[in-house]
Amino acid sequence: MGDFKVHRVRFFDYMPSAIRAMALSSRSERLALARADGALEIFNFADNYFQEKLIPGQEGRSIEALCWVGERLFSAGLNGEITEYDLENLKPKYTMEAYGGPIWTISSNSQGTLLAAGCEDGTVKMFEILEETIQFQRNLERQRGRIISLSWHPSDTLIAAGMMDMIRIFDAETGHATHRLLVERGIGASKSREVVVWSVVFLSDHTIVSGDSAGKVQMWDGLTGTLIRTHLVTKWDVLALAVSQDGNSLVAGTSEGTVVQFQFISSTVGQQDKEWVRTRTFKNHSHDVRALVHTETAVVSGGMDTQLVVRPLLDKVEKNTQESALRKIAFPHRSLVSCAKKAGLLLFQFPDHLELWRLGESEGHGKPGDSLPVKRKPEKLIQLKRKGEDHICCSALSPCGGWLAYATVCSVRLYRLQLDNNNISLTKVSKLPKVLHSAHQLCFSSDSSKLFASSSHSSVIVVGLSQSECKYLHTLKPKSGSRQPVHLLHASEDGKWLATANTDCEIHVYNLHKLKLHCTVPVYSSCPTAIAIHPTTSNLVVVHADQQIFEFSLVQKEYTDWSRKLQKQGLHPLWVERDTPVTHVTFNPKNPAHIILHDMFMFCILDQSLPLPEAKTLLYNQMTLRSLPEPERIMHNHAFKICKNFQHLMCVRLLEDHSLVVVERPLLEIMSQLPAAVRQKKFAT
Amino acid sequence: MVVKRQRGEEESSLNVVDSETTMEKFSLALDSSDDEAPEEVTFEDSKAEALRSMKEALDTARREKELLKEKRRKKQELFQEQKKRKLLPAEVLEEIDSTPLKKQKQSEDEEDDEEQREEEEEMEGEDEKKKKKLAHTRNLKGNYTVTTATERSAASFQKQMAEDFIKSRLYGPGSCRTTSNELLSLQNKKGRNKSAAVQFVKKDWASKEKAKAEKLKKRWIHKQKLPSS
Repeated sequence: MGDFKVHRVRFFDYMPSAIRAMALSSRSERLALARADGALEIFNFADNYFQEKLIPGQEGRSIEALCWVGERLFSAGLNGEITEYDLENLKPKYTMEAYGGPIWTISSNSQGTLLAAGCEDGTVKMFEILEETIQFQRNLERQRGRIISLSWHPSDTLIAAGMMDMIRIFDAETGHATHRLLVERGIGASKSREVVVWSVVFLSDHTIVSGDSAGKVQMWDGLTGTLIRTHLVTKWDVLALAVSQDGNSLVAGTSEGTVVQFQFISSTVGQQDKEWVRTRTFKNHSHDVRALVHTETAVVSGGMDTQLVVRPLLDKVEKNTQESALRKIAFPHRSLVSCAKKAGLLLFQFPDHLELWRLGESEGHGKPGDSLPVKRKPEKLIQLKRKGEDHICCSALSPCGGWLAYATVCSVRLYRLQLDNNNISLTKVSKLPKVLHSAHQLCFSSDSSKLFASSSHSSVIVVGLSQSECKYLHTLKPKSGSRQPVHLLHASEDGKWLATANTDCEIHVYNLHKLKLHCTVPVYSSCPTAIAIHPTTSNLVVVHADQQIFEFSLVQKEYTDWSRKLQKQGLHPLWVERDTPVTHVTFNPKNPAHIILHDMFMFCILDQSLPLPEAKTLLYNQMTLRSLPEPERIMHNHAFKICKNFQHLMCVRLLEDHSLVVVERPLLEIMSQLPAAVRQKKFAT
Repeated sequence: MVVKRQRGEEESSLNVVDSETTMEKFSLALDSSDDEAPEEVTFEDSKAEALRSMKEALDTARREKELLKEKRRKKQELFQEQKKRKLLPAEVLEEIDSTPLKKQKQSEDEEDDEEQREEEEEMEGEDEKKKKKLAHTRNLKGNYTVTTATERSAASFQKQMAEDFIKSRLYGPGSCRTTSNELLSLQNKKGRNKSAAVQFVKKDWASKEKAKAEKLKKRWIHKQKLPSS
């Protein structure tokens, strides 16, 4: 595997934000997820739950509810605005003030023509969904007290609205309230507190299901307005409800962190009449579950503990397959760390600021496994606060450590960084070219003479950098005419190539000497998660969301022999079953056959000179290899050398001096900084 | 027997009434301070007496109120005097006036009155230490800090109210919450392999002081080096 001096970095205090709302577009199998800081993420459930897109939040914007209408995505929040998003340019398209105070919920009818918004002032506002925008149509009959939750009947004629202490049913055509269902308050001390109906679901058989702050899930007859059944689920709140597409299964998320499933089945075998029966309880969260989605085969939940959990329902999927495994998504599927290889600097990206650190130094040599004494401590050099209200969407540090750039939705900022011994100076480059107004990804060339910024329609803007000025050089455009954003950028070490990957799964390689498109890699069905160009052989290595690895020769414009061999033999099943994507690929300059890649749980050195592992051989064999005598080792050696010593990796990079930088962020540390969970009595504690 | 008892009861009740009346008389007698028979007081006199006492009571109340008012006024005056003493000299004020104007040149022109009002608000806000923590602060000579007061619209106020509502429902009194540290220690206790507590040491304890100490140490080392080199 080779010996490395490792900088074990644990000072990146990355803290993800709580999950507030989710919505699934069943047509495109995309999950939209909103966090408490207003950021929006799009996951592709058809492609290994890959986090395709990320729209950064904004100061003062909070998302309380999400709603897909066809391919369009709407959000509403406590700032009283409805926002539609431009998913091609990754920014809000427009915002519409609803004039009803904070909006608690939005919901569209099944036809996708109307959007109903529940407001603080007690009105349900109907918006007509037009081609390009939405338009206010009318109010439903105004109620006293806020509208917390809304649900349309599938026939689009009735709306159920959850409020304080009651549920109202509205006739969507006349706008009048037809029924009032009184929800009982909690017992004991909470009797004097109003009960909040956090969530309602209107089923096609006119059953209304409600979840409230007294911990009840109640089934109501929507035609007569009577209570059918009460299930006391928790001592705390039932915060979210979700129902499956066929309406036979229902899940409720609670403050305890549990998700309770109900199914519409006959309680005794052979009987015809069905009823809602509580069937299963899942406990995958330590904190409140605030958002739920019920897919065809799984329950997707998220909440205050910031993790997205996909829990397959075992009666819907085949057992012991990759599909039946529980998935937890804790870290973003892209790197928040940039590293200046030559200068030994790290740049950490937070939503509202950047931190620049200088790595520490150690002296002496030790045996493998030893920890070396630190001569100079790592040092935080700069904390750069972002300007304006928009959160930072991407950032980059040049390899020499002389330039620093970050972008928000509406601006790009470039700084000149000078470090000599103890003097640090950071000067903003004031005159940036006008074309450089937004960027989805930023990247410096290896000699720090160019800045690449991905822009709309998968194009890349090339800006030349020098001491005196910063000049627009060219815009690189793909021939495919894709409108999707570029999410990966990589400039080769020799300065000749630039590779881009977009969410249409296309990979384009440009020749930077000619400033022309060189070639397009054949499109693979899964989205690329990491790309890199080999410094000496000019082979492009691509890792996809389904864990497949390809190597493409840029000179011959075809897959390399090694790549073909790998595809023919197939990857090891344990490799394919990993559930976090590879987020970075790099190479070892000392040994050109080594490819270094990492995901959240491990980093791997892929040795192209060694044979590939058979399906039956041990994949994680480093420990056994060490225990074997020298001659036998060769027999068991294979290409995948995996290291799991460092846990929950944010970044693995190789520095110029051949030492490895490993940025860790243990999940336990994130958990210890979360807000309070509910106090539960455990026996014998 | 029955009849007798009834009679007895009647008698006793009568007695009670009697005693009450005597008590009343007795108390009246006490009022007149001597053991004399009660004086005859005409209705007008007693009315006048009652009115007078009422008037007196009102008067005393009013007097007290006035006293209180006076006290407050004095206090207010004292405050104002103190404030006047603290007010900034004219040139400083001018300087403050000029800086926001420059900023607003770029943005859309606003009404002068509003600006002035804002300025005044800033002045008033000076004494409060809370405002010092705001983002756009500017240190002047002495102990004065000038901050631009961010205008809070009704929408943001409503938003704050809504957020407070969620917070009070989920984390307010009666929500029965624990801390994440306790949760982790409970997990550790119940888990198969026990380990040290996650927050064995409070890492953020006195972080400011520590940072300051680190800085001073660096400076000291730097100083030590300088003369030798």
